Amino acid sequence: MQRQLKWLGWLFTCSSLLMGCAGPRLLSFPYDPAGRGLNSQFAEQNPAIAGRYIVFTSDRRNSQDVYLYDTVTRNLVEMPGLNAIDMIEANPSISDNGRYIVFAGSREGRTSIYLYDRDTRQLRNLTENLRAPVRNPTISADGNAIAFESGANGQWDILIYNRLGQPIGNITGR
Amino acid sequence: MSNRSYSASKFARHWLRLAGWLALAGLLISCEQPQTPTGPVELESRYNDEQPALSGNGRFLAFVSNREGTRSILLYDLRDKRYVMLPRLNRRDAIAESPSLSYTGRYIAYVASDSARPEIELYDRATQHTQILTIGYRGWFRNPKISPDGRYLVFETGSRGQWDIEVLDRGAGIELDIPDYQRNRANPGASPP
Repeated sequence: MQRQLKWLGWLFTCSSLLMGCAGPRLLSFPYDPAGRGLNSQFAEQNPAIAGRYIVFTSDRRNSQDVYLYDTVTRNLVEMPGLNAIDMIEANPSISDNGRYIVFAGSREGRTSIYLYDRDTRQLRNLTENLRAPVRNPTISADGNAIAFESGANGQWDILIYNRLGQPIGNITGR
Repeated sequence: MSNRSYSASKFARHWLRLAGWLALAGLLISCEQPQTPTGPVELESRYNDEQPALSGNGRFLAFVSNREGTRSILLYDLRDKRYVMLPRLNRRDAIAESPSLSYTGRYIAYVASDSARPEIELYDRATQHTQILTIGYRGWFRNPKISPDGRYLVFETGSRGQWDIEVLDRGAGIELDIPDYQRNRANPGASPP
């Protein structure tokens, strides 16, 4: 009985030591010069991670586009209808289930916040009626809230919208 | 008689003109009404709020603001409409920027810049403890984002001469911040079982 207890004690201390050693470490994802991996020989920027997906922008195809990387299959995922030729996409963010992607898109000198639905392949402009500069969008992991900066008052304020583009909250006080 | 009728018509004309002016003013006022902003516009618009980050459940909003007099990271509870204290996160000798939140807002990842290279730090609201994650790594870092469960971080690194993406694993030993805990616990800031 005592021997068993001793054994258990050893096991416990060893495992806790190992856990202590396993601090933060960098994961290596295959580097692909052909542009099918997470990193390429061009710039990759503004990554966001949720669930198994990493969403980011890259200029690997001569224009800044949004890319989606699946860390489980280690492949890029196609998103038909998201990247447009006449638009610069920036600051993407993704929901936990990988369905909704929010980003800032600039077209003809005007930037809007867009929501892409991977199930329906639909792109929605959430700030069509907002006559103000917008930037830095982000979507909550549950996909129900989208926050971004708006410059309507001559400075940056934070607005929170739902997926339909309706305001659902703001910061008050202090 | 004719003189009096003339003055009466003048009097009437005067009133008509006045009424006309009033109607015009009323039109102007009614025209101005719809121009007032209807959205969730800040009442106190003296502050710059930037770099919003939502917790995975959408309850907490972290952002960078000059509300405290210095540029610092604030955490706002959107449900209870109040600020959440972050003891020991904002230091006097450093600038904290680009916050990002885990599912219940327990972990906050951000960039802290003092005199040396900007480092990616992790703040745990349960222990109020700060950990530097990029110590010992080469290069320049920016734009960190934490995964909703709090285990992984993605960020940009300049160690290959351009911005590339790096993924950091905090290890299997950490306490995950996942929705199941939220259902069992009243206080999301408390440590999970």
